[in-house]
Amino acid sequence: MDSGYYAACTALKSRTEALDTIANNLANSSTTGYRARHNVFSSVLATTGDRPLSELNTTTNNYGVLSSTRFDISQGSLQKTGNELDLGIAGPGFFSVQTATAGVHYTRNGNFHVSTQGLLVTAAGDKVLGEKGVIAIVGAPVAISPDGTISVNGAIAGRLKMVEFPAAENLESVGNNNYSAPAGTALPATHTTLEQGALESSNVNAITSVVEMISAQREAETMRRVLTMFNNDMDKTAAEDLPRVG
Amino acid sequence: MFRALYTAASGMTGQQLNLDNIANNLANSSTAGFQQRRVQFSDLLYQNEIMPGSAATQQTTVVAGLQVGLGTRPAATEVIQTQGDFATTGNPLDLAIEGGGFFQVLLPNGETGYTRAGSFHVDAQGAMVTADGNPLQPAVTIPADATNVTIGSDGTVSVTQPGQTQASQVGSIQTALFVNPGGLNSVGNNVYLATTASGDAIVGSPGGAEGLGALQQGMLEQSNVSVVDQFVQMILAQRSYESNSRVVKAADEMLQQLNQLVQ
Repeated sequence: MDSGYYAACTALKSRTEALDTIANNLANSSTTGYRARHNVFSSVLATTGDRPLSELNTTTNNYGVLSSTRFDISQGSLQKTGNELDLGIAGPGFFSVQTATAGVHYTRNGNFHVSTQGLLVTAAGDKVLGEKGVIAIVGAPVAISPDGTISVNGAIAGRLKMVEFPAAENLESVGNNNYSAPAGTALPATHTTLEQGALESSNVNAITSVVEMISAQREAETMRRVLTMFNNDMDKTAAEDLPRVG
Repeated sequence: MFRALYTAASGMTGQQLNLDNIANNLANSSTAGFQQRRVQFSDLLYQNEIMPGSAATQQTTVVAGLQVGLGTRPAATEVIQTQGDFATTGNPLDLAIEGGGFFQVLLPNGETGYTRAGSFHVDAQGAMVTADGNPLQPAVTIPADATNVTIGSDGTVSVTQPGQTQASQVGSIQTALFVNPGGLNSVGNNVYLATTASGDAIVGSPGGAEGLGALQQGMLEQSNVSVVDQFVQMILAQRSYESNSRVVKAADEMLQQLNQLVQ
């Protein structure tokens, strides 16, 4: 069989997988602090051992696969909410939260609450970490400065532990707006400021997503045509027309 | 392939709920003491096809993994605790709470309900009740012959009776505070119930520095719904729904292409 057939098959498969990522971005266009993911395609050269391939063989055996999903680190817009425990992040930083079972996670969703124990928690109930552990909020009003210092009724209650990741692509999405990171990659934030009474909206760009969607769709269509061509025209020629020659 | 269909469907379902919530906020934009809610979304689980940090070769690791998300879900409808505008009504039994705090009312089933709607009336026995007839807690009784009712910012209720030159105190209104007011359970009729998430009510006299608010007589707190903001949210919800429905269409057309492979 023509090896170009498999190249087209692989491309068709990778485009259908790409649509899954685009669908997830669009579905999360209202998720606070959501970071879009983009598809990264790469070519895989099918070789047989160490034998160098001829130029023609390289062309037909170079398959396009979906190799990874890249993290979009651009800033989402800050949306005013007025709640004093809503925090929007300007800059590349993340909040650190203590989950019940999975250790420390990181999030950009600053929609915080006070638990019945009087601790600052996320909407999912995970404890928000300060530089000296959990933060107790007893009383009102709560003022949070751009550097993350929390004052309750004028007295300092703690400072939020903000972290930055120089290599954000190492972050693993775990759902619930949370990310986990390999140990030792979180560095203290230096380029991050906070805005009280605001939340960062999702950084999904609707226009880019729709363009990505259309190109995935059209490329899949092209691959389908290529496959049909292999199937119908060329194989037919080989199977039916050639024997008649001569 | 089929993931995209379900992922887009989760986005559409979420936006539908978002619109339901916006509709409720707008419908209650004239409800005294109503606090608007906002839908909080969060992303669903991810399928890890290639784990970030896994070994690519013996020397190198995969820097960016192949993670495919499975959509969104509405995680919470959270109450926005901002102060609503005050409208002057002139009615001596209309009370607005400046700051945090809730009035306590006795519900027909014996439970204590909490409300910020301070439009009170006097029932046949002289007790201060809400528009639904639920008595204020602790009970305050206004004498039938009272000519003037004064309610201080600390909740002290005093009345002037015929033949008296000095006002006499007939009761005092207490307000309740919650550690996490966002965790209160809305049961309609402007009433909230305490939950384990909100914590137990901390009851005290208003007017102090404890965050229990201060009372304003002759005023009513309007809803804190910002109509402009809700319209913007509505447009966003509508467009997001639309883009998710396009994904369904795209996935459908790609499936169609696949079916045409076999001819």
